[in-house]
Amino acid sequence: MFEFLLNPIYVTWIIEGLLLTIEITLFGVLLGLGLGTLLAIGDIYGNKTIKAAIAVYVEFFRGSPLFVQLFLAVYTIPAILNVQIDHYVMAFIVFGLNSAGYQKGYMKGAMETILGDQMQAGLSTGMSKLQTLRYVILPQAYRIVIPAWTNEFCSLTKSTATLAYVGLSDLISAGISIKGITYQILPVWLVIGVIYLVWITGFSKMMDIIYDKKKIPGIELLM
Amino acid sequence: MANFVMEARHVYKAYGSKKAKKAEKTGTCVDAKHIVEAVKDVSLQIRKGDIKLIFGPSGSGKSTFLRCLAMLDIPDRGEIYLGDECLTKPGVDLNKARARIGFVFQHIYLFRHLTALGNVELALRQVLKLPKEEARQRALDALTEVKVTDCANKYPAQMSGGQAQRVGIARALARNPDIILLDEPTSALDPELTGEVIDTLRDLAREGTTMLIVSHEMPFAREVAEEMIFYDEGTILETGPPSQFFNAPSTDRAKQFMNRIISRTTRE
Repeated sequence: MFEFLLNPIYVTWIIEGLLLTIEITLFGVLLGLGLGTLLAIGDIYGNKTIKAAIAVYVEFFRGSPLFVQLFLAVYTIPAILNVQIDHYVMAFIVFGLNSAGYQKGYMKGAMETILGDQMQAGLSTGMSKLQTLRYVILPQAYRIVIPAWTNEFCSLTKSTATLAYVGLSDLISAGISIKGITYQILPVWLVIGVIYLVWITGFSKMMDIIYDKKKIPGIELLM
Repeated sequence: MANFVMEARHVYKAYGSKKAKKAEKTGTCVDAKHIVEAVKDVSLQIRKGDIKLIFGPSGSGKSTFLRCLAMLDIPDRGEIYLGDECLTKPGVDLNKARARIGFVFQHIYLFRHLTALGNVELALRQVLKLPKEEARQRALDALTEVKVTDCANKYPAQMSGGQAQRVGIARALARNPDIILLDEPTSALDPELTGEVIDTLRDLAREGTTMLIVSHEMPFAREVAEEMIFYDEGTILETGPPSQFFNAPSTDRAKQFMNRIISRTTRE
């Protein structure tokens, strides 16, 4: 049943697929965090036009399937612009933009629980709004957002399955290729499933540890 | 003008719906229940070394007035002067101005993710741009002045309310501001902790720190305040030395309020 695991070619496919999955997820979550933070700040402090633009952005990336976004980015946009853009590059960008659509919400929620008193305190010491955001609000908001961020990571990891449809070899496309040759359908998907499970569980546990380490001392006494 | 550290001239501030405020500006009639006038044409002068105390019923707008002075709330009308500089003119660098004003909050508002030292240091580093060592030394000096050096490496959630408020005072003090505004610094604390904070304020008063304090600590007021200001329904009703308020306030409203406070204090 699991003989395919003894074939070095299949194992290479699986490892390469896993690496692509990991790369795209990590990059997507990081780009999403940076962009999501800016979007959250824009949504809190921006004027009407900026807020409306951010709402359109968020609704597009949250409301349409990732697959459609990926398809547009990989095939349609390069065709319209008549340029060759590497599929990998486009996939990286789409995952980042998509994740930012979700992470904006996490960041905004976290920031709004902190802003009221802490912004006033910051301004009262002579710091500017920007300095207070940088040194007071964001360091606290990032601590709060770690569990939501872990969820985002889990969800994005599994979303990389859509990469197979635009011809990129992630973990799922490795599975498709192997089962197409070996016909060991259930064993192949079991193995792929377990790999996802192990990677995601390991990473989430690490994030839990970071979350505990980063907790502001004394806060747990108040819970 | 230069002999005033801070001056408020005809300051007006109201809260309400945007629509109500717009109507008020253009002079059209506004339904009174849509708008709360927290500060109605209030003027006040503070000289260097002055210690003034504002008191009055809660909800009367004392805190709003104090926040207007620090430009943490922007007045609708009137002028605020910090020394010679008019803060209510458009285009003034408010951050620079606020760096010269110390503000102590009723609910303390320490930066929760920083230690006591970090709380005091942050503005010294980011606003005054002091080098690391110097900022640390000045922060330690400020913590020593309010006697909370033992908390230097504690986080706000690990301190008692009294310790936290003293760190809040150190944070306001460390920049050597022209004036310190304190908004009911003890009203969120129990009587024992109140004592610690009052002792700190007494020390500051002895050193000649210019302070405007919103407080109902009457024995303290009697001891340190040069002037007491009775504030009610958005205006200053009566101003005078503590002796005037403790003996014979000239307005009925102040008389009534003083009676209530004094009878409460004696019962305790």
